[in-house]
Amino acid sequence: MTAKRRLTIALAGNANVGKSVIFNQLTGLDQVVGNWPGKTVERAEGTLHYRGYTIKVLDLPGTYSLSAYSMEEVVAREYIAVEKPDVVVDVVDASALERNLYLTLQLLELETPLVVDLNQVDFAAKKGVQIDAEKLSKILGVPVVPTVAISGKGVDKLLDAVVDVAEGRVKLKRLKVRYSHKLEEKIQQLKKMLEERLPQLCSKYPSRWIAVKLLENDSDIQEKVREAGGSEIVASAGILAAELQEIYGEPAPILIASERYGLAGSIAREVTKFIHPPRLTLEERLDAITTHRLLGYPILAAVAASMFAAIFLGGALLAAPLESLFDDLLIPAVDSALSGLLPSPIVYLICQGVISGVGAGVTIALPYIIPFYIILSLLEDSGYLPRAAFLMDNLMHKVGLHGKAFIPIILGYGCSVPACIGCRIMETDRERFLAGLVVVLMPCAARTVVILGLVGKYVGLHAALALYAFDLLLAFAIGRAAFKVLPGEPVGLIMEMPPYRRPMLRNVLVKTWSRTRDFVYMAFPLIVAGSMVLEALRVTGLIWPLVGLMAPITTGWLGLPATCGFPLIFGVLRKELTLILLIQLAAPMKLDAFLTPVQMVVFSLVTMIYIPCISTIAALAHEYGWRRAILVTLLDIATAILLGGVAARLLPLIIR
Amino acid sequence: MTRRRRGSGALYKASGATLASLGVGEKAIVEWIVAGPGAARRLADMGLTPGTEVKIVRRGPLGGPIQVEVRGTSLALGYGLASKVLVRRERVRGVDS
Repeated sequence: MTAKRRLTIALAGNANVGKSVIFNQLTGLDQVVGNWPGKTVERAEGTLHYRGYTIKVLDLPGTYSLSAYSMEEVVAREYIAVEKPDVVVDVVDASALERNLYLTLQLLELETPLVVDLNQVDFAAKKGVQIDAEKLSKILGVPVVPTVAISGKGVDKLLDAVVDVAEGRVKLKRLKVRYSHKLEEKIQQLKKMLEERLPQLCSKYPSRWIAVKLLENDSDIQEKVREAGGSEIVASAGILAAELQEIYGEPAPILIASERYGLAGSIAREVTKFIHPPRLTLEERLDAITTHRLLGYPILAAVAASMFAAIFLGGALLAAPLESLFDDLLIPAVDSALSGLLPSPIVYLICQGVISGVGAGVTIALPYIIPFYIILSLLEDSGYLPRAAFLMDNLMHKVGLHGKAFIPIILGYGCSVPACIGCRIMETDRERFLAGLVVVLMPCAARTVVILGLVGKYVGLHAALALYAFDLLLAFAIGRAAFKVLPGEPVGLIMEMPPYRRPMLRNVLVKTWSRTRDFVYMAFPLIVAGSMVLEALRVTGLIWPLVGLMAPITTGWLGLPATCGFPLIFGVLRKELTLILLIQLAAPMKLDAFLTPVQMVVFSLVTMIYIPCISTIAALAHEYGWRRAILVTLLDIATAILLGGVAARLLPLIIR
Repeated sequence: MTRRRRGSGALYKASGATLASLGVGEKAIVEWIVAGPGAARRLADMGLTPGTEVKIVRRGPLGGPIQVEVRGTSLALGYGLASKVLVRRERVRGVDS
């Protein structure tokens, strides 16, 4: 065997074209899922071996274009332009060729080595459409390989084409994307300027591409050109764009998109043959029912309910044996094994800190996260998600979000962790963060335990329900306020409604496995560290001075017994602990002798809002980065203290 | 359908129809998008450029989103956004608009 040869390929393509299925077909379980550095954009990478090559495959985020509109698009184009993968595979949906070619043309403009994967040819045939792949290849000047991702048909040929392109054995004349006369003139003018004055930038990105992007008023590229010392070029581009608008009566970015689509459309028409009229399929009937203005809602409620049931019943089912494994088997075993060897505080720290911490992660987070990821993948792959968003859009707009946010909000009733991760389905960073702010305040299962177990039991169900309602109002009020405050253009709902498809089990499981692993790596160290610190504070007794330090807030402002600081600190680990520890604190007194009804309500209110539990903080950090995770945490603590104090003063007027 | 209207935007206001004002099954040509630059660009990227033919597939309940067919794909647009897409109704055979 010759020395190992390496290739890097990147998969690009629209959302909903089966790109992740192709990725899984190529790499199998040999993949790593994570985030792009500093971005809430999923990054999946895998390797495979083919014809003596070790091929690294990178799954770029699904995008419709390569503008600066979303993080996904910037991530994708930066990777292609700057990292320069050996080959880019453009996964194209044969049943929606025109829209998909719009991206293909942009990839051609990026001057990257390209192979077009004409995917879902089976589905296109069902819609009565046949694509002439050979003709398409001739027009585009790049290899075009028909595939059926679900069955893996054509994937070998795709890899052959990739290797051929990488080895430079493809002799095709690449299509040059050209615009109408006046527009082309301006592009050439800018291109010349760029090449003369910024040769360095032009070695990084194709000069023609920069010129087009400048006319498209692309903020990201403008910034890059300015940084390279080309402010006057950006200014000239502005003038040229204004001239174009004068001539054509349309803003230059729209004009360029228009012409690109014109070209995509004429290519699509040239290679498409309609073999029979599309038939009303089962999928379409399903589509009509699930978006029906009346029937849609009970179906949505049923889907949400079964999702909820699957995650939380399934979770509880998994959690119980795992919990007893840790509490009844592992901890006593380690305890007795170590107790002779090490001093008892250290044994205690290991058992209660490390093992309990891992236990908390394994028994609280995992049982809910695994079913959640399975359900999320099913919803993603089947195409139901956009339907749910379609139905809920109007309502969600009232709180500054749009339809898609409904899913993470529903999840928030069970557990904030999957809810937080579920916010990924929002498109822009702004919307993702807005949704995140709202979902961490949803009354999760643990919070429900405290509200019902304390207020519901001792003050009355009406008070518990009032608290619950208040929490919802608060979450939406914070959402609305953030909607007003957060910078960025709020964009309404623009969402593709892909046809329904049968999800593929293998794809769902592979996705679940890689995502779960990613979460474990991120969250577990934090959970273990957090529980160790708290246990160390408890063992050394240092917790009590800390509780004393909190007294001005707990007693002075919130009107609670000073010792209540203790359960509140430990509630960070898991919120139901606040109730358990409160009962222990009160013993031998009953809770209603220890706290007045007002104090109970205040205590529950604070517990409900004050801090996302440590697993949620981990999830927030995972999704939004540490800075924003800490920001949300501080915001919630401040809100809790403020509202708790106000409640402590107002409630005595209502409750005896 | 990739004809493009050339000239000023003044003409477009006359027709007054928007994507949000069309009925299910109606076809129209996109004339002008009055949304902010980000949203307009996004709509263009999804295929809603001036001169494009669209067909209303369904309307969401209670001022909900509008689902349209454009360039062989299906898009849902929030009501607010849909009302920023000005269109010209296409004459359907036998029906005067």
